[in-house]
Amino acid sequence: MPPIETILAGFADAFTVLNLAFVIMGVAIGQFVGAIPGIGPVMAMAIAIPFTFSLSPLVAISFLVGINKGGLFGGAIPAVLINTPGTPDAAATAFDGYPLAASGKPRKAAKMALYASVTGDTFSDLVLIVASAPIAVLALKLGPVEICAVMILAFAVIAGLVGDSLLKGLVAAFLGLLMSTIRLDPEQFSPRFDFGYFQLYDGLDLVAVAVGMLAVAEIVRRIATAGGPPMPAATPQIDTRAAKTVSWAEYWSCRGAMARGALIGTALGALPGIGSTAAAFMSYAATKRTDPGGVPYGQGNLKGIAATESANSAVMGANLIPLLGIGIPGSVSAALLISAFVIHGIQPGPLLFRTQGELIYGLFGAMLMANLCNLLVGHLSLRAWTTAVKAPASLIFPGALIFCIAGVYLSSGGLFGVAVMFISAAVSLVLTGAGIPVVVLLIAFFLGRRFETALSQSLSILNGDPKNLVQHPVALILLALSVVLAVWMARRR
Amino acid sequence: MKRLLAGLAALALTAAPALADWSPKGPINLYIGFGAGGETDTLGRLVAEEMKQSTGWNIVVDNKPGGGGMAMFTQLNKMPPTGQFLGMGVTMPVLVNLTIRPDEVPFTLDSFTYIGTVALAELAIVAPADAPFDDLAGLIEFSKANGGATIGFDAPPQKLLVDVVNAQSGADMRLVSMESSAEAVQNLLGGHVTAAFNAGSHIPYLETGELKMIAGANETRPSYSPDTPTVEEAGFGVYVDPWYYIAAPKGLPEEAQTAIGDALKAALDSDTVKTAIENTMHTEPVFKGPAETRAMMEAGLANVKTLFGK
Repeated sequence: MPPIETILAGFADAFTVLNLAFVIMGVAIGQFVGAIPGIGPVMAMAIAIPFTFSLSPLVAISFLVGINKGGLFGGAIPAVLINTPGTPDAAATAFDGYPLAASGKPRKAAKMALYASVTGDTFSDLVLIVASAPIAVLALKLGPVEICAVMILAFAVIAGLVGDSLLKGLVAAFLGLLMSTIRLDPEQFSPRFDFGYFQLYDGLDLVAVAVGMLAVAEIVRRIATAGGPPMPAATPQIDTRAAKTVSWAEYWSCRGAMARGALIGTALGALPGIGSTAAAFMSYAATKRTDPGGVPYGQGNLKGIAATESANSAVMGANLIPLLGIGIPGSVSAALLISAFVIHGIQPGPLLFRTQGELIYGLFGAMLMANLCNLLVGHLSLRAWTTAVKAPASLIFPGALIFCIAGVYLSSGGLFGVAVMFISAAVSLVLTGAGIPVVVLLIAFFLGRRFETALSQSLSILNGDPKNLVQHPVALILLALSVVLAVWMARRR
Repeated sequence: MKRLLAGLAALALTAAPALADWSPKGPINLYIGFGAGGETDTLGRLVAEEMKQSTGWNIVVDNKPGGGGMAMFTQLNKMPPTGQFLGMGVTMPVLVNLTIRPDEVPFTLDSFTYIGTVALAELAIVAPADAPFDDLAGLIEFSKANGGATIGFDAPPQKLLVDVVNAQSGADMRLVSMESSAEAVQNLLGGHVTAAFNAGSHIPYLETGELKMIAGANETRPSYSPDTPTVEEAGFGVYVDPWYYIAAPKGLPEEAQTAIGDALKAALDSDTVKTAIENTMHTEPVFKGPAETRAMMEAGLANVKTLFGK
């Protein structure tokens, strides 16, 4: 830990009016792009980086941190208000957020998402600030074999989301895994299921599939059922204070869900490559299984919203643990932050804390400031969005569809991604009609790719001999835990 | 003398709009063959910004990820050669695809007019500093003595390189597939693999003494570590040279090719781009002109064919 003067100087650098202005601007942009399906904070950061050349390093990084953090909450806004998640990691927010909004309490639902997001985010930021170095060293010890075991554990927990029919859940999971095998195989790099399209060499675009299956499918469903006299897109709001705000008692009742979410998000965030979507689903599944009471899950339970949003937001701060601790980016957005460092001639790496202590503490200051701004800007933008969805459905849903097309076109690099999006939407509508849970398919698809790589790495490291697992006690414990969990959940069913 | 003067003038007036008599009839689209945030993307955006400022052309950067640049070049191939469509990619994936599935690739080396190179990715084999070997021969011995070794890699040519070394030396180096350079560094530091290929992310750890160089994998020795012999020098006769380069659709008028090439060269000579490339890639920008780039592509294709034994 650097001397206290460095820490104070860093925080002092962060808390300037100029920096505050850029953080607010970043947060506002982040919330906006997060709310638009397909664009997302990563895309916005990549576009913004060249514009940060002329800023001082700390201002540039604060701005990017603002975009990233704004996006963490932004994705929840359309998920809650019109059941179309803006980012894949907000998909589980819609489970309870949308039913609550549809019962006339959109602001309550969105505010719960906002508070949980900021809570989870602040928790993981504090962990990052206090303990990044030791956690990073610990995470380093977890190699491909252990990561593979963590993912098996994640599958076991998420299996709790399968729904009423185990068979249909399994069908969904296998379809998702199958979809994730469309790409060059990680060993020999031979194309699989590419049907002659080079665009499929890197696999189906995650954003295009997620936006198609979640947002576009819902939009099509709503447009198809529309008709008759013009209807507002959202149910009319109940105009009482209790319906528009989250009381302290309600917030406090979700403390368990938020704590669990923050811990799951922080733990998965510290391990590179698993991602916020998996963390969100895992947290939702864990809370649903262990924390009953109140409204049933899926019908507007505040804990469901709190579990998801605290987890997906906690991933962001923790993603920086490997970056600041040992110099390795834990996610695409962490890699983008690195490139902003690098452009200003600051080498990320093991020496970052020693050589750039003041800047790092400036970054920490900016992160905390961004959390506060997220809360304030979130309140304002919520008001705007909840007013916007009072517009007729015949305006909102076609408009949202245009945003989906434009967003996916931008982020997946062309019309091919848009085609993937529409095909995914069609598949989603058919599967939903058959009662197959699309979110289970999606999460299997998201995890499948990373899981395959981890599995192939593990097989090579273990030399194909399960007996070598003995040298990996952590992996053995995780695998045993997965079995216990699976059995326990099967019994409770 | 005239050329020297022109060169000096260009240096003195990097902001001069008239680097040549050609100018585009609208915005220039620079396609990037990879997604936002990667090394190619960072390089492309840096160069585009600098070219934009020195020429006044409106250059729009557009990510076209897929198949290591194959999707992008396929699309570029269909665009008109007006100078308004350029593509930036990396040689290796293109050459590998042209070698192993030429019938499926809808273009050849002749489908493009080459503008120039941007930089060479310097590839090395590295190991944790406490590994009981210091060079490729030592790694081979280690593998033989310990019933095999694990090597992290992230692209097909690296695998082929190891296959060649295994076949010629009798070593048993097993490859462990990595999704990025950063993941490889992490596995090295955590002690999960014996050694790994890396293209720059490892350099800060050489300075801290946590990692060490085992061999260079390019045709020439690494610029940052000139004492490290290459795999080719160690007697295996193979190398991997991934160049970042910019191309346009075939039939680009010569004045456009010259003008864009000059602007690219000026951008690479600028301090901003130089520093940024040194920071991100740990290497210097290397500009090869149109003819040289074309020759480099042909030599590269021949080398990849050797790697694949074709």
